[in-house]
Amino acid sequence: MDAAAVLGQLVVGLSRAMILFIVSAGLTLILGVLRVPNVFHGSLYMLGAFVAWTVAEAVGSHPAGLWLALAAAPLVTAAVGLVLERLLLSRLYHREHLMLILFTFGVMLVLNDVVKLLWGPTYRSLVPPPSLQGAVTVLGVALPKFNLVLLVAGPLVGLSLWLFTHRTRAGRIARAAATDRDMVAVLGVDVSRVFGMAFGLGCFLAGLGGALVAPTTSITLGMDHSLLIDSFLIVIVGGLGNLWGALAGSLLFGITQSVGLLVWPQFAVAFPYAVTAAVLLVRPTGLLRSAW
Amino acid sequence: MVGRRWSVLLLVGALAAASVMGAAAAPAFRFDRNIKVGVVDTYSGPPAVFGNDALNGFRLALQEINRDGVHGARIEFVTRDEKFSPEIGLSMARELVLQERVDVLVGTINSATALAISAFAREQRVPFIVWISKSEAITGAKGHRYVFSTGENTAMAGKALAEAMARRGYTRFWLAAEDYEYGHAITNSFWRFMKRARPESTLVGQTWWRTGEPDLVPYLTQILQARPQAVFFGTGGAGMANVMRTMQVIGFAQRIPSAIHTAIDVTVLRPLGAAAPEGVFGTTDYLYYYPETPANRKFVQDFQAAYGSPPGFPAFHGYITGYFIAEAYRKARSLDRDRFVEALEGLRVRTPMGEVEMRGCDHQAVLPIIFGVTRRDPRFPHLVAGDPTILPGRDVMPTCEDIRRARERAQ
Repeated sequence: MDAAAVLGQLVVGLSRAMILFIVSAGLTLILGVLRVPNVFHGSLYMLGAFVAWTVAEAVGSHPAGLWLALAAAPLVTAAVGLVLERLLLSRLYHREHLMLILFTFGVMLVLNDVVKLLWGPTYRSLVPPPSLQGAVTVLGVALPKFNLVLLVAGPLVGLSLWLFTHRTRAGRIARAAATDRDMVAVLGVDVSRVFGMAFGLGCFLAGLGGALVAPTTSITLGMDHSLLIDSFLIVIVGGLGNLWGALAGSLLFGITQSVGLLVWPQFAVAFPYAVTAAVLLVRPTGLLRSAW
Repeated sequence: MVGRRWSVLLLVGALAAASVMGAAAAPAFRFDRNIKVGVVDTYSGPPAVFGNDALNGFRLALQEINRDGVHGARIEFVTRDEKFSPEIGLSMARELVLQERVDVLVGTINSATALAISAFAREQRVPFIVWISKSEAITGAKGHRYVFSTGENTAMAGKALAEAMARRGYTRFWLAAEDYEYGHAITNSFWRFMKRARPESTLVGQTWWRTGEPDLVPYLTQILQARPQAVFFGTGGAGMANVMRTMQVIGFAQRIPSAIHTAIDVTVLRPLGAAAPEGVFGTTDYLYYYPETPANRKFVQDFQAAYGSPPGFPAFHGYITGYFIAEAYRKARSLDRDRFVEALEGLRVRTPMGEVEMRGCDHQAVLPIIFGVTRRDPRFPHLVAGDPTILPGRDVMPTCEDIRRARERAQ
């Protein structure tokens, strides 16, 4: 095994980790601020991919189609999330966790059927514009050009989230609400609005993740399953509600998988899960401090 | 009035002639009821594309058959959605046999469901015709008197691909596959026949990924770095599309020769559109544009007129299943299940791919396998099979002796 091969697989794993980060950042944001394990997060990711496909198809061969799709999909999922939160979820915050899980699980079933009704069972392909087709050779590895977009998008999303949570008033309130929501309410802040905003932002990130994977994979019913499980694991490993934890978990997940392939290709599938289990044995509450 | 006597005579004569001719034309045998087929397949979720295609082919065949009927009977059918689950499929089959009292069971895309229903069909002594799922165990190790297959299987495809790769002189392989029943079946079959065709073949390594694995880039880049001479991919459905898409993006097949069963298939290449890779070796048992025989052209035209798109391989399987059922009842002259089974054994039916025999020893339809390499063609909206060749079914099927031994081992 030469060093170039390891570096090449690292880059490939990194681009996968960026998608995982964007989606699990949304999940962990909702977990941290609202204390809601959002089971339909994966469905929004799938919805985002389908919306991106529809927008790109409608625009046609113009290269702007993809960028328009990347902008539209997260807005649609954020809107869906906001409506659901304002109309339904906001009435359930005082209930126990089991009720919240049941509710989001129910919404997941409904959303998946809505996707089936709207797009049918066939899988779709979103072909990126010619400038982003094909691959470039990075460190001796053929890396799809579109994965470079992911390598840029991931840190951009991370930076924006950091700016939002640390440099804006709304973000500071959200962080405060994550730590002690009663105290924030006592201080006269409309916690409900903060919750709605955080939920919408989380759903935005799910849709963004879906739109970003759309050009790299089959857009199909069921694409939400494995991602939902992986992002819950990442969030748990990273520390519930901790954005940087989500980043650490995603990197751990994406890189152990791609580098694991060099070590023991036949069983590489098991690597991320084995590492997750090992981390939780040593640090049961996750790598970084949990907001719970 | 001679004319009048003559005309009476003529009338009598004509009536007599008509009655004689009528008696000759009327079938001496008539069924006293219609024939009922129970279809169990996946009609929801991504695999429904295949289930619906097969059903459309079957429906088209029945429209043609029911115009004249089978000994005065029509072939009717009811469908049940197994939702790609062996448990649901089995209970649907049970309901169709015990409540709906169907004469024949037909299905399904899921190999695991097909095997589950097959065991039930054996116990109930109901004929069961498998039309999409490709596990060779169905008519091989786990075959029996009541199960039939009208589609190609992993043994046939694996052998066809192994021999094609052997002819090209490749001996150092990487096996990469999706970790589920079909992925294992097709990969094992390919490697078994590869070792038989070229015993010096060696395995550089193998990778298995989860079904639904969204990102195959790390898997494929790692194989590129391992530098095998050729790669065999064992995958189907949406996973297949992911492999093909990733291959196209990183130019995989241009660097390492790659073989995948169904890579040249229309059901794979059409939805991929421009994301499909050129230069991949593949096999299928049906193409709507090749061979250009009158029988195939007519089937494609009729299918296109009825459903608005050309038939895929499941439609071909569904279509010939309809004809196998009709011809077997025509021959059996009985609705008895055992008489139907006996009539189906060794039956030859005219199909869009020429005459196809239902082999008596294992109940496997002797279907040809088409081998080709994916290629762009301006006449088609999708990639097509370049340099197609047809391998006759008898050359790629296990021998009856192989089947007998496999079934003995299984017991």
